[in-house]
Amino acid sequence: MIRPDAAAKVRGAVEYGTDLTAPGMLWGALALARVGTGRVRRVDLAVARRVPGVVAVVGPSELPALLPTGGGDPERPLFPTGTLSYRGQPLAAVAAETPEAARTAAARVTAEVDPGPTVRSLEEIFPEWPEDPDAAPEVTAHVKAGHGPLAERFAAADFVVREVYRTQGIAQVALEPHACLAEVREGRWHVRTSTQTPFGVREDVAALLGVPEAAIVVEGTWVGGGFGGKGASLLEPYALVLAAATGRPVKLSLRYREEFQLVRSTLPAVFRLETSVKDGRMTARRVRTLLDTGASLPGRDFATGYSIGFLLGPYRYDAFEVEGVAVRTAKVPFGPHRAPLAPQCVFAAESHVDGIARRLGADPIAFRLQHLWRPGDATMFGQPVGPHALAEGLHRARATATQWRREGPPGRGIGVAVGFWSTGVGAGGESRLRLGPDGLVIEQGEREIGSGSVVLGLAAVAARTLGLPMARIRVAYPDTGSAPYDAGVYGSRTIGALGQSVQKAGEAILRELARRVGNESVPEHLTLAVDGEEVVVRGAGADRPVRDLLTDAERAAGGLELLGKHYGGGSGLDPSRIERGEFYPYSDFTGTVHLAEVAVDMETGRTDVLRCAAFQDVGVVLDPEMFRGQVEGAVAMGLGEALTEETLWGEDGRLLNPRLLDYRIPTLPEVPPVEAVALEGALGAGPFGAKGIGEPPIIPVPAAVANAIADATGARLTELPMTPERVARALKLL
Amino acid sequence: MAVTVNGARHAPEPPDDERLLDLLRWRLALRGTKEGCRSGDCGACLVLVDGRPTLSCLTLAREVDGSDIVTVEGVGDLPAGRAVQAAFQAETGLQCGYCTPGFVMALTALLLETGRPRDAGALWAELQGNLCRCTGYGSIRRAVERAVREAP
Repeated sequence: MIRPDAAAKVRGAVEYGTDLTAPGMLWGALALARVGTGRVRRVDLAVARRVPGVVAVVGPSELPALLPTGGGDPERPLFPTGTLSYRGQPLAAVAAETPEAARTAAARVTAEVDPGPTVRSLEEIFPEWPEDPDAAPEVTAHVKAGHGPLAERFAAADFVVREVYRTQGIAQVALEPHACLAEVREGRWHVRTSTQTPFGVREDVAALLGVPEAAIVVEGTWVGGGFGGKGASLLEPYALVLAAATGRPVKLSLRYREEFQLVRSTLPAVFRLETSVKDGRMTARRVRTLLDTGASLPGRDFATGYSIGFLLGPYRYDAFEVEGVAVRTAKVPFGPHRAPLAPQCVFAAESHVDGIARRLGADPIAFRLQHLWRPGDATMFGQPVGPHALAEGLHRARATATQWRREGPPGRGIGVAVGFWSTGVGAGGESRLRLGPDGLVIEQGEREIGSGSVVLGLAAVAARTLGLPMARIRVAYPDTGSAPYDAGVYGSRTIGALGQSVQKAGEAILRELARRVGNESVPEHLTLAVDGEEVVVRGAGADRPVRDLLTDAERAAGGLELLGKHYGGGSGLDPSRIERGEFYPYSDFTGTVHLAEVAVDMETGRTDVLRCAAFQDVGVVLDPEMFRGQVEGAVAMGLGEALTEETLWGEDGRLLNPRLLDYRIPTLPEVPPVEAVALEGALGAGPFGAKGIGEPPIIPVPAAVANAIADATGARLTELPMTPERVARALKLL
Repeated sequence: MAVTVNGARHAPEPPDDERLLDLLRWRLALRGTKEGCRSGDCGACLVLVDGRPTLSCLTLAREVDGSDIVTVEGVGDLPAGRAVQAAFQAETGLQCGYCTPGFVMALTALLLETGRPRDAGALWAELQGNLCRCTGYGSIRRAVERAVREAP
């Protein structure tokens, strides 16, 4: 199926946030703090105000008069007036007649700051595991859970493997920088923005500015890549404040360097894993993690409790203990990036498992199959494991690996890794379907960020539910003032959650049509079809044109309109296993098994990935092209996390590599062929059993590459990214 | 200054330090050419200047005085450009679409300067100045192969 947005995109004819414009528009810019931490004594806006073309400069003193209740969440001030917690926090915002004037003025905002502590790494703060984490002022969250006779299994083990793995910060690198356009008129706060979550932005803006949600309208644009980085408000509150101050539309966008510095993403982590082995079996595992959560506020950490289960893997043990500590540092706060922290956790966990299998002389795939969750099993947190295709994935991977081994010259390495994911079907969404005489419109509150799940996926769900051809279905993108609520594009949830609402609305339409054609008992026998130009109802005697089944009011309004709602929730965790902190239930299980084949240069440590294969649990494929695109794209992004990508921070809080030349994402010749295999049949919660796959296929990639390097060289990499230097060190070349 | 953009003549008066990218996007309202990194690393802003692939973010507007410029809005008027756009569409060689205008322009430039028969592999390698964060380049490769087959 050709994507409905493809024709416009190849002509450059869709409007992204960066393209927004309005008559009489001003240009905004943010004055960013040029120190990492410290106490602000004074911010001087006078020089900035004198720059020709400047219309308004807004700092903390100007805010109360601009906001209806004088201000928003005091914990999250737009412009910090006391302590700075990371470099690049906005001190003031400028609106001017030209972008140059705005940027010049922003650069002339000066601040007197008593410098604070330098930025330290996790290892500098905690060189060893902190025995009493809560005593340390840097600790903002501490979670712990466990079950079973851990000490006993460790004592009785044939051996216990203890390892430490380290992973790095990752930048989002959506090609489109953040951009929005705001206008405040007659008490209505209107912002057009490139966002994954229009309703999330509305909620954020309300909290940050103290404006009631009913007075805020968020209109999403086409999104030039998100990956999690456009999942919360960033520029919108500032643009709105500037619009309120000037009475004119204000455009605010980031330069790419600022994009690197300010957009939240994955930060470094240290994983300590200990596994006891008895008679060739992993009997118990203890995991302790330190996560750099940047300048996250206490109580706002989701990563620690969410990610820690990935370190246990989809495996059975007699006992486990997990403990995670979130560490506050002077970096931009942690934020979600495609399967937040899962590729990092799985790099550690699947490297660890691979090493144990090798030490035992076991086949790495057979060893994983031996420990895999079985039907009816619960996770270590006591939650029933839903259907997944991991066993089939491992069997398929074994066949492919055997073939690669036969084909490949000696010296190459093949690595396998396993991951699982829980798609965010717990978060709610609604959609409104309107069936007219010649087709269907799906009104909903998400925007297409690239995967195709909205523009094509939701239409495919409706097509399959109603029997209508795709050409007669259009997805519409009303603003938050008229769209039904939806939580937004994150957690691979569009198909699984919003798709369910589309399916429910479609089924409601069929039921209503059954009633109208007088065949109420069998709506499942009804389907829609196209006859000439007209949509007809088929399956109850002669075809009936939809036109004839609409009331006058419906005909005037464009058709029969019905709302579908999906509000889910994961099944509960076993509270007796949780000692402290917040853990999150998984809501829909998705398995993923990857292979990577590498050649390692034994003189330089350079690793070339020659091919990859991904065996992806998907429930049911709604569109093969879309499936392949998600897997190929995720593998490429995962190869970046495996081999080259790493944010580097100076002691002054400066990001040292905020450019695409210095922060290297995979380029075209570096991404090898990817075999994307869909594993259908282990049905998920989504429509027709579909599972979201935006995130899962990135999860095993770094681990598969690490295991391939170990296979080729015998060397075990314990740190990402696996640069030539780190590989050379592991090979004892340096 | 005088420029021809997509066949239309313009006489803009940009300041000396204005980039071609900003001239196209804001003075001429041709916003299909995308602003990415503004430092020549991503390729999203690529246009044709007198037939040559040119990063508009690294080119001063004044430098193109007297030139003939083609952007993604006009490239479909060239048979090669039309074939490239059709190939990207047919192979879904895109996801978010932000890098797509740059890829379309870069591939069109290559097809214009390469006689038949063409080597898809060699052309492919020439595109490495264009970055894509969504597709992993797989569907773009299929689009390139189709364009090489089908372009005049």
